[in-house]
Amino acid sequence: MRRTAVVAILAGGALLAMLPLLRLPAFYESILYLALHWIVLATSWNILSGYSGYFSFGHGAFFGAGVYATAVLAGKFDWPFLATLPVAAAVATALGLALGAVVFRVRAVRGELFALLTLAVTFVLATIVLNTSIDGGPGVYLSAVPVPRIAPTQPGTFYLLALAAAVLALLAAYLVQHSKLGVGLFAIHDDEDAAEVMGVPTFRYKLAALAISCALAGLAGGVHAVFISYVTTGEVFSITVPLTVVLMSVLGGTRHWAGPAVGATVITALLYAFTKGDLALTGKATTGAVLIAAILFMPQGIVPRLLQRSPIPRRATARPNAVAAATSRAPAIATPSGAVLLRATGVAKSFAGVQALAGVDIEVRSGEILGLIGPNGSGKSTFINVVSGHYPTSAGSIEFDGREIAGLPAHRIARSGIARTYQIPRPFAHLSVRDNVAAAAMFGGAALSTARARIEAEHWLEFTGLAAKADVLPDALNLHQRKFLELARALASRPRLVLLDEVLCGLNPSEIDEAVGLIRRIRDAGSTVIFVEHVMRAVLALSDRIVVLNHGLLLAEGPAAQVLQRPDVMTAYLGTMHAARA
Amino acid sequence: MNPNSFWRSAVAAMSLFALAATAQAQAPVRIGSTLALTGPLSATAQIHKLVGEIYVEQLNKRGGLLGRPVEWIVKDDQSKPDLARTLYEQLITADKVDLLMGPYATGAILSAMGVAQRYDKVLVHHTMGVPSLAKYDMQFPAWSLGADPGNTVPNTVFSALAAAGKTPKTVAIVTSKFPSIHFMSLGAREVAKKLGVQEVLFLEWEFGNRDFGPIAARVKDAKPDFVWVGAIGLDGNLLLDAMKKIDYSPPLHFHLYPAPGPMVQSADANGALSVTIFEDHPPFNTPPVAAEFTKTFRERATKANLPETAVDTQAAASFTAWQILEAGVVATKSLDDKAIAAWLKKNKVPTIQGVLRFDGPNNFGDDLMRVKQVQNGRWVVVFPPDVAAPGVKLVTK
Amino acid sequence: MTWPSWNLLAQSALSGLFVGSLYGLIGLGLGLSWGLLRTINLAHFAFTFAAAYLCYQLSTQGGFDPLLTLLVIAPLFFVVGAALHWVMTRFEVSPFNSLLLTFGLTAIIEAGIQAIWSADFRRLESSYGQQKFKVGDLFVPVPELITLVMSAGLALALWAVLRHTDLGKSMRAAAQDAPIAAAFGVNQRALGLLLAGTCAALAGVAGVCLSLSFTLAPSQIYTWIGVVFATVMMGGLGTALGPLIAGVVIGVSEALTMAVTAPSWAPIVSFTLLIALLLLRPGKT
Repeated sequence: MRRTAVVAILAGGALLAMLPLLRLPAFYESILYLALHWIVLATSWNILSGYSGYFSFGHGAFFGAGVYATAVLAGKFDWPFLATLPVAAAVATALGLALGAVVFRVRAVRGELFALLTLAVTFVLATIVLNTSIDGGPGVYLSAVPVPRIAPTQPGTFYLLALAAAVLALLAAYLVQHSKLGVGLFAIHDDEDAAEVMGVPTFRYKLAALAISCALAGLAGGVHAVFISYVTTGEVFSITVPLTVVLMSVLGGTRHWAGPAVGATVITALLYAFTKGDLALTGKATTGAVLIAAILFMPQGIVPRLLQRSPIPRRATARPNAVAAATSRAPAIATPSGAVLLRATGVAKSFAGVQALAGVDIEVRSGEILGLIGPNGSGKSTFINVVSGHYPTSAGSIEFDGREIAGLPAHRIARSGIARTYQIPRPFAHLSVRDNVAAAAMFGGAALSTARARIEAEHWLEFTGLAAKADVLPDALNLHQRKFLELARALASRPRLVLLDEVLCGLNPSEIDEAVGLIRRIRDAGSTVIFVEHVMRAVLALSDRIVVLNHGLLLAEGPAAQVLQRPDVMTAYLGTMHAARA
Repeated sequence: MNPNSFWRSAVAAMSLFALAATAQAQAPVRIGSTLALTGPLSATAQIHKLVGEIYVEQLNKRGGLLGRPVEWIVKDDQSKPDLARTLYEQLITADKVDLLMGPYATGAILSAMGVAQRYDKVLVHHTMGVPSLAKYDMQFPAWSLGADPGNTVPNTVFSALAAAGKTPKTVAIVTSKFPSIHFMSLGAREVAKKLGVQEVLFLEWEFGNRDFGPIAARVKDAKPDFVWVGAIGLDGNLLLDAMKKIDYSPPLHFHLYPAPGPMVQSADANGALSVTIFEDHPPFNTPPVAAEFTKTFRERATKANLPETAVDTQAAASFTAWQILEAGVVATKSLDDKAIAAWLKKNKVPTIQGVLRFDGPNNFGDDLMRVKQVQNGRWVVVFPPDVAAPGVKLVTK
Repeated sequence: MTWPSWNLLAQSALSGLFVGSLYGLIGLGLGLSWGLLRTINLAHFAFTFAAAYLCYQLSTQGGFDPLLTLLVIAPLFFVVGAALHWVMTRFEVSPFNSLLLTFGLTAIIEAGIQAIWSADFRRLESSYGQQKFKVGDLFVPVPELITLVMSAGLALALWAVLRHTDLGKSMRAAAQDAPIAAAFGVNQRALGLLLAGTCAALAGVAGVCLSLSFTLAPSQIYTWIGVVFATVMMGGLGTALGPLIAGVVIGVSEALTMAVTAPSWAPIVSFTLLIALLLLRPGKT
């Protein structure tokens, strides 16, 4: 399946590369150059911003970096034009990586703050270029730069260069979308924190997407510098590039690799269609009207709308039979039963003065189901969050299978074989149920390839009874189903330790029974389970041992029936008066 | 042969020839160009559209070019140099126009120049602000800046001041970093230094700056005798506004390329100096061609609701460009670009600016920039004396 | 570099304060609709300029006092803004799609402005333009003062409404979680229309203030987008005082830079400051 699209892109590119041989009037090569140029810019923007949701308003900065890299090298240092292009891409990438390395670590800078920051970077870069000898004011004159004769005509050469860049961009967008990187980016788009805890190396992936995006933008910039042959900061760093790439991508569809290209072609065609002198103003107004109509009637973008209506069946997802799937599953790595799998020592966590955990020592033995109970606010969910890496610890150590995991980034913790569910389900809203589970299989401890992960997902959907809903989006599920989706996701990564956070809350009695059976089967298959619960009959039915937390401290620990009879435990739950009456 | 049939054949043949000749004569001469009809540059480009329309109309009334009517194909480059380049390629390779006319402003002209060079087309242009970048030998400027305006224009300005007995002792040079402005202001610094005028302030702002308060305050603080404002479009007005707000009126101030309309309408601009190649008063508008043009332009500009209806540098340069092109075609009796270019290089062309030559560096001839001043709500040329408006002198406060 | 006089610094800072308050005034409606209505309204800039041109036209042709034109302009744009919002809700336009839609609208409005008033520069010469006060040694020009007063006044008024009135609280609730707010009886439809109309009316006010101080040209619509977006994002979406404060910070820091060194370096100071603030301030989570 992947091969056909790649082959199609390459074949299309090869076919279009023959165009200069037709010896058409040079103007066609130039106008196609412009369309291809915008395809590269829009597609490259989308690889970061469309896929991951990190809306960048600074694509102009990376484009401009490429433009000026070529302008300075070719215009002032007489480098050959083609030799400047890799440097242009490299300069833009370096700028992007430097920016990303700092910004992506700061949790608070997401959404519109990231957009603002990238916009600010553009202004800063423009000012630096304007005030230093990179440009300094007069602009850089490039008409004298010799353009190699790749095609019979000069516009033809630019056309071929842009075509090569566009093929690169489309290939990159396609391959990213269909790779683990793409799944990870889409997961980041929907819920970055959940993705990180599930095992997606979010920092690395965001940087990768940004690097690819910048490299392509820089390349496009380098080529464009010599096309326009006179480069000024006012033109290069205007609001046009950052704004237009967003419009093109949104118009075409941001979740599809071909979306921005379609949007770019449509908008370039529109802008060009009205260049006759007497149509200038009417043309502008008509372009505006067309854009409005397009977005009102195609809110997902053009490409998704076209795909919806196409009679060609969507990429058929593999439907292997469950037996094959079951047997393809390797047995979970089993630590000898009874050995300590997780050891938390003196674990503390405070949030700006509120001490959620005040030094807790808990041991979890391999193969057991440990119930973690306590009144509200006792620190149970915080404990889960800290073990899974959702929050860093304030103090203490956590050893998992002998290795220290406190302080590791959450995705590394997930990789080592720990999975969790969320009390309020946090599925990835734009991924199908199957893809939600497959993502966990790709990024968790199992670390399967994309293809095998989808097969693995089928198994877990069967296991949790969601097979019929595999292709729907999570918001079509009811609460019970969403809870089971959380479970399926947690299990798909073949964890050695599963952390269940109030998975039964909100379920009716028969659903609770079903869930209890499921949890038992999970343990029987080889995973260790810590589960946080309020539903006491489930705690009694499932737990081998329970641990009681109160005000962030360990209150009691031992077999369920005994612990629940203890007066201090009852006091903690019910308050003194009631406990006295009991 | 039967004499009747001979004559019949002869008449038939002659009719055919006449028909063919007429058809040939009727095929219009197509001249193509782009203008920034939309986008940030459209404020000034609309003047060029109007002038082009007027010229082509009048040209056709006079019999067109080489006995054929002239058709002007103008496209909107939306103020984008990359689109300008593409459209010029379209004009040449797809629309196959006979001749080219230049677009508006330096960036687009450079784009067009590259295209013209690849196809060996002659390019007459009217608004090239950086002569040193015009390296194509078949391009011809209608805006007579001279080959070294960074040097000659400031010299003219200071000469004008000297002639009025007002050589300043101190000068403040404040300028935008817009390419066609910046190098001129740097030239002004050099000229001031050579003339022994002390530079008390030098400031540069980025094109698009909105807040001129601090700059105005710094100029006021520096107390210069003379302020050189390297401004284009709105900047000069914004600076004057800002100066007025802090109660500062420079004793003498010069603006490089202000938007003429707003400047003349603003009360604080009285006495502002600038440069021009043409103004709508004698002696510029006395010759018949100029007189007719200025009259027609005024009428049409008023009808088009343009705020400024007098011919000035932009309109005059535009008109001149058409005059140059026509002269080349008429003199060589052809539409052959190489022949036209060769002729223009070796000959002088009379235009409403004066007689122009193109044999200097980069085909730029004389610097014909005159110094003008806002007096009583009008721009009037004050220097050199032979072209100054009758009875007008440079006034200072 | 000679250190400038206190008077120069103070006058420059004042100048920055004024231009910053205009950024804040333009940004006020933009930020509120972005934060509370989830609409990224690029057409806000087109509304501002359309209002500026209308004010210019009514003042120069009709002889009205520019501030009086607000009586016509504010209601007119209120209706326009509400209508636009109605379209957005009817088609359930998402935030990014609203960017595209309003861009289209901006192109149409820009073309309209150019068709009516030509692309040339227009400057409103009003009686306010001639007036100024002197506070100590500092000059306070009246048009700028009007802008500052409008900006601060409207920001404070809106802040008070959003903070302390039921109406405001309902709006904020609806923005945070519409279905729940509806369950509590908040009429989201009506509130949305009211808010959208108000934001557009604010654009109208901004336009009138703009026309008092600046020269107008249709393409100028785009030159304000960058800095006002920065103002809004920096001040916080959906807040009333945020854009004003952010605008003033940007304006003053740029003005002080211009007073002290080469003015062409000005953007670097304000935006580096902004970047530093974003990276260093304590995280929201």
